[in-house]
Amino acid sequence: MTSQLEFSASGLEVEIIPVEGELNVGPQHPGSGHMRIYVKLDGDIIVDAKIDPGYVHRGVEKLSEYRTYMKIIPLVERPAILDSIHMNLGYIMAVEKILGVDVPERAQYLRTLAAEVNRIASHLYGLGIWAIFLGHSTGYMWGFGDREVWLEILQALTGARVTNSYIIPGGVRRDLTPAIKEMVEKAIAYQRRKLQDWYKIFVNNPNIRARLENVGVMSRENAIKWGAVGPNLRASGVYYDVRKIEPYAAYDKVDFEIPVYKEGDAYARLLVRFAEIEQSMRILEQVIKNIPEGNILSDRFFKQIPPTRLKKWWEGQRRIVFPGYYASFRPPKGEAISRVEAGRGELVYYVISDGSANPYRLRMITPSYRTIYVFEQIVKGSRYADLPAIYGSLDYFPPEADR
Amino acid sequence: MSALYALRYYFFYPSFFVVIIFPGLIFTTIVLLLTIWFERKAAALVQMRYGPLYVSKRVGGALQLVADAIRLVFSEIIIPVEVNPTLFVLAPALVFTFTFVPMILIPYSAIPQSGSILSPYFHIFYDPNIHKGLFIGYFVPYNIILIMGLSAITPVFILLQAWATNNRFAIVGAVRESLLAVSYDVLIVMSLAAVAIEYHTLDIAKITETGIPGIIANPLAALVFFIGMLMATGRFPFEIVEAESEVVVGPSTEYSGLLFVLAMGGSYVTTFALSFVFSDVFLGGWLPLNGLPGALWNSIKAIIVLWFTVFLRAVYGRYRIDQALRGSWKYLLPVAFASLVLGLVVGQLWIR
Repeated sequence: MTSQLEFSASGLEVEIIPVEGELNVGPQHPGSGHMRIYVKLDGDIIVDAKIDPGYVHRGVEKLSEYRTYMKIIPLVERPAILDSIHMNLGYIMAVEKILGVDVPERAQYLRTLAAEVNRIASHLYGLGIWAIFLGHSTGYMWGFGDREVWLEILQALTGARVTNSYIIPGGVRRDLTPAIKEMVEKAIAYQRRKLQDWYKIFVNNPNIRARLENVGVMSRENAIKWGAVGPNLRASGVYYDVRKIEPYAAYDKVDFEIPVYKEGDAYARLLVRFAEIEQSMRILEQVIKNIPEGNILSDRFFKQIPPTRLKKWWEGQRRIVFPGYYASFRPPKGEAISRVEAGRGELVYYVISDGSANPYRLRMITPSYRTIYVFEQIVKGSRYADLPAIYGSLDYFPPEADR
Repeated sequence: MSALYALRYYFFYPSFFVVIIFPGLIFTTIVLLLTIWFERKAAALVQMRYGPLYVSKRVGGALQLVADAIRLVFSEIIIPVEVNPTLFVLAPALVFTFTFVPMILIPYSAIPQSGSILSPYFHIFYDPNIHKGLFIGYFVPYNIILIMGLSAITPVFILLQAWATNNRFAIVGAVRESLLAVSYDVLIVMSLAAVAIEYHTLDIAKITETGIPGIIANPLAALVFFIGMLMATGRFPFEIVEAESEVVVGPSTEYSGLLFVLAMGGSYVTTFALSFVFSDVFLGGWLPLNGLPGALWNSIKAIIVLWFTVFLRAVYGRYRIDQALRGSWKYLLPVAFASLVLGLVVGQLWIR
């Protein structure tokens, strides 16, 4: 860190020796979440970085062994409240596999709609955090400002901005109304306009390009070896997206592309995120246009709702009231694994049911958890000032990694 | 009457009036508060939000900064256990002092022989180079050299401050400051040397009174000086020393309360002082006015320069230290040499 000066007896002979030092960055970091990074420096170059996660550990996996299946829904959303639809969706898909429920077409489309709205919001959140890491306060404010537009849609659709608990076994909780359709159309028009400004002030800003190009380069081989997921993997030239590889919800019925960049540097990761926002808006347009009529909850559960309540809530407000079955259902013995493409990458759930009201085991492998190793490897050899730039480029979210 | 006259005489005596009231301590403090308000307001405008508002809705939240200043001044000063308390307290005070000292030596306006409220001081602050009096705290004929020299001392005290706080982030910030200081000082000195050669003088007042603004006579020097100024004062995109997400607040990491104000306010004072130099040398300073209105006109120009520098926050992120160094040594140094050559040529052909 500092140069050590040695004065020999003969005179002013100065020898400069690069001195190694350690910096404890965090756990109260001027960025997102709580996490400590032990950085070993040689001058300005990072020799080694060790991530010390666990400051926001919530014990989701253990807690879920003591809760009924419905009560786990809000629990699994907690690790990544800004990406809660995906956290919710992956868990429900695993439970549905154990239960053997068929989900109606309309509910599948609604899941896709909510997931893509949430993906845009999640990317904008990540971009905002990244921008302030680079000192670009306008990108920070714009990221959070634009995210608000999408959160309003989620609020209108699900009743909550974050931690929506929208997706339930067999379907979704609320139906799409014409007002929400109009909101989505307006939001898409606004975001398309705003993305042009984003490109002008952030993406094509020479300052930002200088900070991101050739920084934190991850080759295709390394990306696969280190287990990168999501946009980080696709920025290294790997065509991999669960939405295409193993389509769920209504992703096999909509037309979209997976943006892939070959460069593998932080700037490619930035471009991938912007391209994904554009693709998500494309999906939303198709969902709005092609959404079929029908029920939003599987008949198996729908029939159990008492007629009086059905009349008041479903016919009146197009909302699902929980049938009694949900109170503490006991799925058959079995196990299921589900994969979804969350905002930050592949999210895996593994649920084992022993026939009781609580799962025997719930395992969730979050994308940020898999980013930890990538982060430790990728920062080696880069400059200390690049640490926040790389951190932001990986879109690492500590609570999601800690679970 | 004579008592009142004497009072007026001593009140407007430039060495007092310039240093303490206008455009010295009091005016500078007000301008700094307004600058920080403008910085936040302008950034807010770009960023689709209100900025400071609730403290005084009628004036757009301008009093927010007064409230912030009062809070900072009265909050507890925490001195870490393992530091040398004397140096810890002294260092930011020295930083602030030496950022302010150059303001004494900058000519703010010319004093005509008669007709101005400042005319009684014509002979005391007489500048033989322009045959006029100068509205200045202390007149030296070689004020460019003295201003550059004094403003180059500040980084030394920033290093002292970082060393005294005994914090690793502060040390990293100080190393960055020392690396940057070497490069921006070269840029500022070379651009001013180009202008000095061009106008055949080391007196800022003579440059201004020539009547040709430096930005027309030597635009390259103006560019180099402006970028050097951004680097010297840690404005975006060169906010490298205090980079929040990298080194917390750099050399000021351990400071709180009034000492934090002194440590952080210094960069704004430097920006204001260098804005005055920029206004005098490159923008025509007080011309075509003189006396007190000239000083006011000069301040308006300086404030515009100052506000432009703080507005850059809304546009840029920050460069990496090696990028800033490469930019200054690889790209701006040749431009500075070119401005030197331009100064030589134009000085021989046009400005006599």
